[in-house]
Amino acid sequence: MKDTFILNLVHRPELNPEYAEKTAGGGKGLEDESIDIFKLQQRLAHENGLKTTIQMTYSSLFSQYVVDLAKSDHQKYGDEIGLSLLGLPCRQFNEKYRTKDFCIWMFSLEDRKRIIDDVFGKFFECFGFWPESTGSYYLDAQSIAYIEERYPSVKCAVATCWEEGPKAYHTCNNSWYTLMDGGPWNPWIPSTCNTHVPAKGPEDDSHIVAIPHLSRDLIACFDGNGSNFGTHPQNVLRGMVYEGDQYPYLFNLIDQYRHMGKYNGGYSYNMMFVGPGWLNKKGRWEAPYSLLEKSYSDAMAYYGNLKKEGKLCDMGMSEFASWFRENRLYSSEAFLWKDILYGSEKSHFWYSSPSMRCCLDMNQGGAMIDLRPYESKLVRECGIGTSHVQEVSYPFLIQANYRAGYFTHYAGEGTVKSCTVSYGGVKADMCLCRTKAVLRSEDGQRVLELDPVQFKLGELVADIQSVFYFREGSNEVKTVRKVLRTSIPDAKVCITEYMTACYGTTEYPEPMDGIKLIAGDKTLDYQYKCRTVRAVGCCTAVVPQVECKVSMHASEGDECFVKEGYAFSPMFTLGVVRNAGQGEVFESWLKLEKAN
Amino acid sequence: MAQAGKGKLNYRCPSCFMRDIDIDMFYDEDKKEYYCIRCCYHGSEEDVLQKNQMARFRYKSMLKRFDFDDDGQKERK
Ligand SMILES: [Zn+2]
Repeated sequence: MKDTFILNLVHRPELNPEYAEKTAGGGKGLEDESIDIFKLQQRLAHENGLKTTIQMTYSSLFSQYVVDLAKSDHQKYGDEIGLSLLGLPCRQFNEKYRTKDFCIWMFSLEDRKRIIDDVFGKFFECFGFWPESTGSYYLDAQSIAYIEERYPSVKCAVATCWEEGPKAYHTCNNSWYTLMDGGPWNPWIPSTCNTHVPAKGPEDDSHIVAIPHLSRDLIACFDGNGSNFGTHPQNVLRGMVYEGDQYPYLFNLIDQYRHMGKYNGGYSYNMMFVGPGWLNKKGRWEAPYSLLEKSYSDAMAYYGNLKKEGKLCDMGMSEFASWFRENRLYSSEAFLWKDILYGSEKSHFWYSSPSMRCCLDMNQGGAMIDLRPYESKLVRECGIGTSHVQEVSYPFLIQANYRAGYFTHYAGEGTVKSCTVSYGGVKADMCLCRTKAVLRSEDGQRVLELDPVQFKLGELVADIQSVFYFREGSNEVKTVRKVLRTSIPDAKVCITEYMTACYGTTEYPEPMDGIKLIAGDKTLDYQYKCRTVRAVGCCTAVVPQVECKVSMHASEGDECFVKEGYAFSPMFTLGVVRNAGQGEVFESWLKLEKAN
Repeated sequence: MAQAGKGKLNYRCPSCFMRDIDIDMFYDEDKKEYYCIRCCYHGSEEDVLQKNQMARFRYKSMLKRFDFDDDGQKERK
């Protein structure tokens, strides 16, 4: 277990690669070329001593040549033969289903089941056994449940692309419908309620281990195009993150993933999955074939050398699922990701547990800039026939890029959790204090300790330090603000710990009707009336649209408030307030619960 | 003019790339230039390459190699 960096390397033989068809013009010869690319990928892996998971596509199951190839590589190199639900389109599929749809979660549930049976049946016919791994860009909870019921051999699945949502859609000129933000960045066991949500225990364990489609840059993908910054050499070229034939960024990315082991019991992980369309002979955008091929070859060599040095363990997906269940199971995961691309000193803390996923930005004084309330275990049926035909993101309460964070244009507020500090009528927000942090694990919790920051409030200077605590198995985040020093002895600053939130999955506002704001024993029904209610005790928002109850409390006797938004600022704010002087601390808790 | 086609490579619009949009350009044989059907960018191959280089301005660490330890990343000398 100690210092185990695990690689899942996945290859899929496609006969009609989804990208090549359009960009290379399709037509005759494409099928042969596509098989050649698959063979090249396999060869490069094997030459570097790496085993792969071959994810057979539906179309490839009609090619005896590819089936034999898979069998032979399985025997010779120990490659796992799995079954992908990507790569459905081919003559046989099109004739049978009379559609151009190719994303499994978008079909009606009835069609999904029919297709799964068809694809799994065809696989069995070809190989005489059932696959142990499967996947798609996204696999919804209903599909996973059906697969588990009918094909219990399946232990592992590619189940989401991390932060591929509105950003990827936008990058593709609003034509690529992988709207699936909000999941974990590293493998997890999905809950039976919702694929994005890690299971709490056996009671909601979906029986598979989910892996993300690629391992992505936790800063670059949060703001930029998710597809450009991951363990996919040709995506790095797509992002133009190279000069000539050099792309050290790719190796920095892999190495930073390896470094995650330090904070997660020695375990770290990479997933590489390059579809054949990305290595097509005609080149891909401005990159010629020679560079596409070189980048894949270099990536294989890099992983291969790590393996030779005893620093990498390559596994098939199914093998990994067994390892994960034995060693990780329902554990949370955390990391403090450093910028390795833009030359800033930015770092983002990411945390994923069965209760929540969140991101804190050290460049904004540790402000929470993303929060997904997994605790509400939202059931969202998807596909044709539901109200979520394509859109399968897990909703946020805070997303500082989609729904503004600290900065807004002259009016209104944006979603963020931070604090303000005031003295003598001068107020400043922690979001404007750039700092750094250290992450450590102690006593069953993750502790994120930030470097102290300074506030200049008129004649007063105050040094304040923030520390955040994430306890394993807890649905709360504890925030501690320590007043280390004040330039005027006995001065007390007023600290307001606040969270401005809404709900949604995209950049656009959602109706706020039905939300209840509660401060102490007073309740406000959201009516866009810009009201504030103050009380003593706990402040809460109940957001029925995402079945979530979110609350903040400090110590008994502390003041709290709720603030309703208005039409131009469709948000709500919860806050707790305390006056604190030098040497004093202000502790508060953010709590997530399911609201029915 | 006759309809435009693709150039020898699928150059993307450098102007759109800088606003995180990947959009293939088409090639105007008469004017010997690439053009974007979404924004107003148009230019020769040489201009496209030059603008692509410009698009990399934000990647200040693009060619650096880092080692990771407890205190963060350290540039490899
Ligand atoms: Zn353009």
